[in-house]
Amino acid sequence: MRSGDSLPPGDLPRQFASRDGMEATLRQLFPQAPGGLSPIQGGRRAAEAALAAIDPAAYGRSRNHLDGAVTRLSPHIRHGVLSLVEVREAVFAWLARSGQPPVAAQKLINELGWRDYWQRLWRQLGDGIWRDQEPLKTGHPPERYAAALPDDLLEARTGLACMDGFASELIHTGWLHNHARMWLAAYVVHWRLIQWQAGARWFLQHLLDGDPASNNLSWQWVASSFSSKPYMFNRENLERFSSGRYCSACAAASEGTCPFEASYEQLQAHLFPGASPC
Amino acid sequence: MLKPVLWIHGEALGPANPALVAHPGAPALFVFDRELIETQRLSLKRLGFLYECLLELPVTLRHGDVVEEVLSFARRHGADGVVTSAAVDPRFGLLREQIAAQLPLQVLEPEPFVALPEPLDLRRFSRYWRRAEPVLWGRGSAAAPPAPAQRWDR
Repeated sequence: MRSGDSLPPGDLPRQFASRDGMEATLRQLFPQAPGGLSPIQGGRRAAEAALAAIDPAAYGRSRNHLDGAVTRLSPHIRHGVLSLVEVREAVFAWLARSGQPPVAAQKLINELGWRDYWQRLWRQLGDGIWRDQEPLKTGHPPERYAAALPDDLLEARTGLACMDGFASELIHTGWLHNHARMWLAAYVVHWRLIQWQAGARWFLQHLLDGDPASNNLSWQWVASSFSSKPYMFNRENLERFSSGRYCSACAAASEGTCPFEASYEQLQAHLFPGASPC
Repeated sequence: MLKPVLWIHGEALGPANPALVAHPGAPALFVFDRELIETQRLSLKRLGFLYECLLELPVTLRHGDVVEEVLSFARRHGADGVVTSAAVDPRFGLLREQIAAQLPLQVLEPEPFVALPEPLDLRRFSRYWRRAEPVLWGRGSAAAPPAPAQRWDR
């Protein structure tokens, strides 16, 4: 497990013959930790490569699409491998280099602002990020929501190709596109009626960028305890921003049992029948 | 503090860590927090990612009780105190207090993303952004309107 380094007792090894060797060692060190390594590599070299590849203008145009030019910087920022200041300066340097107007980088700078905002809120709220910031606007009483995630979701076998795809990606890679996080969270909270905290804990177990503040407050945004209305989506929205990759292979879509196949008005009436009009 | 050790935590695993910047070459430690890992059932993906980050930093790695490990590391190196970087997670604040009860502890602040006067209205992102965006772009007046609130960490 160690390749040649002599360490004081209890110090963990720093040298490995291969990534597989490191994984085997980590399995021994942390036998209770589920799963294996992510294909996404950690470390400053990987972070710098990701930072060098950013295209703020393309990001601004396409970030909501699963195939969009998202930066994938979040795990590196979450653990301070890259500081927000470094990323901010890289964006400004890109602007200077590209000759593009500032508006080309506005969305990306805005997203960095979100990261800073969540951290400031965490300082203010402390462990309060685990409690509803405001009452839910769904019309359902809090006790209507289940406390735990069901096995079909945890095992990515709901029968819905999109949700199973997202759950599987979460479990195997530790990263999900922002839009996929929103869809999955909305499905968990609004379609399955599960407490947002259960979903938040699940995400934190797996996401490489798992940050309790960003994560929990975003779940609360979806649930409506940190927003003026619950976030929901329909099949048309998901199909559009995923290029139909899930629906084309989904039995529920072909059999007409897709729970997202409806207008927003129909979904509002179905999911939140007791909600006050916004 | 003449001979400190550095306590590196999971919010600052890069070269901008102010403790590493202020004390290059000082013995540095990262502890995999046994209690946190077990209670949160963190996946091997997350631990492996952290481990790979740490392999590119000049730090000793341990697994166990964070406070005990930091204090023991300080004794091992004959240190007269501990230097660390500021953290947002309240858990680090509790650990810091326990360490500081035993040894002098200095907390260094990283450079802020945007320097804003406190107190700041954080009830909605839009309120924060109205203050932050002009400062970020180096302008004194009102900025462009914020994007629609449809966010997640990425």
